[in-house]
Amino acid sequence: MQFKNKVESGEFAILAEIEPPKGVDTTVMVENAQRVKGVVDAFIVPEMSNAVMRMSSLGGSLLLNSKGMESVMQVCCRDRNRLALQGDILAACASGVKNIIAVKGVDPGNGDHHQTRAVYDISLSELLNTMQLFQEGKDMAGINLKGSPEIFVGSNITMTATGSLLDKELEELRSKVDSGTDYFVTPPVFDMQSVNSFLKKVDLSKTHIIPTVLLLKSLGMARYISKVMPHVKIPDSVIKRLQEAPDKARECTRISMDMIETLKSEGFSGVNVSTIGWENKLPEILGVFAD
Amino acid sequence: MIVADKKPIDEVIETIKDYEKILLLGCNECVTVCEAGGKKEVEVLASALRMYFLNNGKKVSIEEKTLERQCDHEYLEEIRDVIDQYDAVLSLACGVGVQFTADKYLSTPVLPGVNTCFLGATEKRGVWTERCQACGKCILASTGGICPVSRCAKRVMNGPCGGSTNGKCELGPDTDCAWQLIINRLEAMGKMDEYEKLSPLKDWATDRAGGPRTVEREDIQS
Ligand code: SF4
Repeated sequence: MQFKNKVESGEFAILAEIEPPKGVDTTVMVENAQRVKGVVDAFIVPEMSNAVMRMSSLGGSLLLNSKGMESVMQVCCRDRNRLALQGDILAACASGVKNIIAVKGVDPGNGDHHQTRAVYDISLSELLNTMQLFQEGKDMAGINLKGSPEIFVGSNITMTATGSLLDKELEELRSKVDSGTDYFVTPPVFDMQSVNSFLKKVDLSKTHIIPTVLLLKSLGMARYISKVMPHVKIPDSVIKRLQEAPDKARECTRISMDMIETLKSEGFSGVNVSTIGWENKLPEILGVFAD
Repeated sequence: MIVADKKPIDEVIETIKDYEKILLLGCNECVTVCEAGGKKEVEVLASALRMYFLNNGKKVSIEEKTLERQCDHEYLEEIRDVIDQYDAVLSLACGVGVQFTADKYLSTPVLPGVNTCFLGATEKRGVWTERCQACGKCILASTGGICPVSRCAKRVMNGPCGGSTNGKCELGPDTDCAWQLIINRLEAMGKMDEYEKLSPLKDWATDRAGGPRTVEREDIQS
């Protein structure tokens, strides 16, 4: 429960995303995680991110747990109905998974099995309510559980909205807190400017927000994200910094490291480092936190 | 056709109770055939509602109109001149009609008076059964003209599951096993060799997997 303890005691928690493999060879996954084992408090194991088929988050989470590492299992309503979701959450909790984060999930049309049917039997808020119910000892049908789990529940929130969209986002934040959400992980953040309006309305000492720091891999990637992900703001200063840097790969890492420092000093509950496929860079990015 | 069923009157009253001038709008197409939302059902429901509000001392005016179709711009235009006289429209068309009316008359609440159920056929008066799920990629040519997508509980594509018993589905004795029906028909047509052919993984992208669907025919667009 290192992750939960840190968040609740106000210490800066470090999460990192570790993608499970598309296949059963888990060597790289485990090695990458083990390299930062003492530094990362828990590993978020994405649930088939971008609807690309790979090992489930449940499998990946249990694997990391078995190697002595804490995991955060992702659940989403895209691929499972209420029976499967509840069954898997019970399985996870009974096998030692303590942290679960419920996310929206990308539509299968964007993945590598675009002929599949999405499920969406229940909504994300109903899934959060279910985890609250579980902790009260009941399932979705109101039937008593034999042993109820304790779950450190997370969800997503976007911090870059402004105007009426920001009001909507804050409303979602409140309703998720009411549904028992203990902490929020956000999409990638690249500067404080873009999250200012949000921070004026949210007390970081009361609401546990964990922004994602995404490792840029190139100038092209930064430009692409700016173009296709409207809720992720990459400021011109970051683009310029990359343009001018002689060693671009090194600069990408430095940008992430600087952002983590900024988030820590701004009073966030932690950071989620996402390297999408470049998990071998985690030791470099998180080097300063090593003992 | 689209098969719909009447909503319970208590539910209808609950949805319209805050309005005073209501247009009860029927449709001459599918909902007339399945006797849920045609001219006759509009008359019956209007009388029942008037009676209810009268007995409860509430002044509510309910007017009746039935359009040729509510899923067509042309016919929906017929109420443009009068729509502002009403606080709300209670539509007895299928969900398509309700939405098309709502799209057209932005500031008027348009409320559903029926539950839209499925694409089906009339077995006999008062009994309709589901026959199609509009999956967007018809496979009836290889399944003896009987649809396992809409008629098999598990939507299995290559013969019955283990639950098929005496021609009935494992859901219970009231439901025919779709695959038994398929086999019976392939046998009758002397086409059992079709049954041996494995059907490929179903592509649900043409179903709802790809989000809301659109059919575009450039050859007939003006
Ligand atoms: S018994 Fe027949 S209709 Fe019922 S689920 Fe099995 S195959 Fe489908």
